[in-house]
Amino acid sequence: MRVRIWGTRGSYPVAHRSMLRYGGNTTCVEVRTTKRCIMLDAGTGLRLLGDALAAEPAPPRQLDLLMTHTHWDHIIGFPFFQPIYQPEYRIDIFGMARTQSTLRTTLANALTDPLLPMSLEDLRAELHFHEIDQGSCFNLGSVEVSTARTNHPYRALAYRLETEAASLVFIPDTGPFHTVLFGDERINWQGRPTDSDVELQELAAMREAIIELARDADWMLYDAQFTDAQYAQFPHWGHSTASQAREIAEAAGVRELLLFHHDPHRSDDELDAIVAAQSALARPPLVIRAAFEGMVLDKEEAL
Amino acid sequence: MKLQFWGVRGYVPTPGAAYLGYGGNTCCVVIYGAHDELLVLDSGTGFCRFGDELMQREFGEGRGELTLLISHTYWDHLLGLPFPGLVHTPGNKLKIYGPDSTRGSLRMVYDGILSPVYSPVYGLAHMAATHSFEPISTHPLQVGGLKVRAMPLSQHKHSPIWAYRIEEHGRTVVYMTDVRYSDAQIWRKAVHFAEGATVLIHSAPYTRAEEVEDYGHSRVEDAIEVAQEAHVEQLLLYHHAPTRTDAQLDALVAHYRAELVAMGSLLRLEAAREGPIIEV
Repeated sequence: MRVRIWGTRGSYPVAHRSMLRYGGNTTCVEVRTTKRCIMLDAGTGLRLLGDALAAEPAPPRQLDLLMTHTHWDHIIGFPFFQPIYQPEYRIDIFGMARTQSTLRTTLANALTDPLLPMSLEDLRAELHFHEIDQGSCFNLGSVEVSTARTNHPYRALAYRLETEAASLVFIPDTGPFHTVLFGDERINWQGRPTDSDVELQELAAMREAIIELARDADWMLYDAQFTDAQYAQFPHWGHSTASQAREIAEAAGVRELLLFHHDPHRSDDELDAIVAAQSALARPPLVIRAAFEGMVLDKEEAL
Repeated sequence: MKLQFWGVRGYVPTPGAAYLGYGGNTCCVVIYGAHDELLVLDSGTGFCRFGDELMQREFGEGRGELTLLISHTYWDHLLGLPFPGLVHTPGNKLKIYGPDSTRGSLRMVYDGILSPVYSPVYGLAHMAATHSFEPISTHPLQVGGLKVRAMPLSQHKHSPIWAYRIEEHGRTVVYMTDVRYSDAQIWRKAVHFAEGATVLIHSAPYTRAEEVEDYGHSRVEDAIEVAQEAHVEQLLLYHHAPTRTDAQLDALVAHYRAELVAMGSLLRLEAAREGPIIEV
């Protein structure tokens, strides 16, 4: 399994001098095996991935796009992904089943007038939509995919991708599991953590499922958008801190934690400092780094 | 009147070292009047960082007021709105002007991009700053000492695209983006609207020689021809293509400047750049 990070930023893409090393594109990760190209989320990093595919001598014509959810920062790269305009490609798009709108409609509406001039019907690649849910398990070639629910406004998915060689867990957007329980309704934050037993039990169960999903993973990309001060102010936006990410990684026995979904205000130097602080606290053998654009994680399948 | 670009890129933001000189955030231009009037043209991702700066001022205390003029509602002109803290701070006042689409009013479009499938804001009702959507028309509008005129220039599918002309003390900024001169009438309207402008901001992602899908844009040569025909003093090329690096933009500007000099034109030509404050 070869993983390449194309976008690390959360909320919105940023072009800024102080963020060149970790990068300003929003969430997108490519996972390659010998036969398969799986893409995680369609942030602005996806545009760069599309351009890289076009430059390959024999690019894979079957692509799988796994969506955690459809907030803007996770779909904004889709219309700029060149393979959707090319009939040689088949793209299978997976995302959470919703009652309000199908995955297909959600993407179609985002691409269409008055927001953009495209139309899903005009895209020349063969697109197939698959609605899945927490607890879904399926195979993409030799890659086993499993999912869990994360604690994020309007809910989102976490993914685990597993081959014989390696395992990757992808949780770009989640709050921690002790303050607010997110569902489909908006949280009207009143400055007090939930004290409802029912909600606390549901949060505990969600945390358990996330830890099960991440159990002994080689790599885990995890939401570490907030500083402690930001979390104290905005727990109702559904993001975690680096120490909350570390706590989940330790509980799950993850080998390497990659801090992810960087805040659009976070400079490279600030991220370096966060990594140093969390590394000093990490229980060995856990390794902590921050994901950066262009980062490659590689573990080959045994021949 | 002062002018500052916070986002110059068209279509999609382009983070990366090769784009930093001109900037990689999407469309957002700020005009400061002599009496602290604040006009913002389009709310692409450039609006997010401008919003951070405003939060250091009266907007951080919920005492800020700004007027937002929207040219049309495509992503690269719109998606920056919900992120800055200022729109979530009670007390701040946003007056938003822009065209309705035949598929829905400007308010409906903004409400739609904030719906829970796309945004954790859950709709305009939860944007805490006071905000109003004002119908745009060709009747002049006064923002403090700034006189604003608006004009529907072209139409892309269901979305009308408007241009703005802002005047103060005899100096004029004209903002024309995403216009396609598909017929002579649009061209004449544009020239008339830009007549005598001190500064014309004009989208120009590609040159005529480039064979690309531009989604309804005029080319660099069109912008130059409009500026010359309308006796504009300075033309600022805007809405740069996402593939255009700083070095390419430098070369492009140098090429067309040389052409202007060769034909004896006095038009000053620049590519819009994020950051510097320009005295108009």
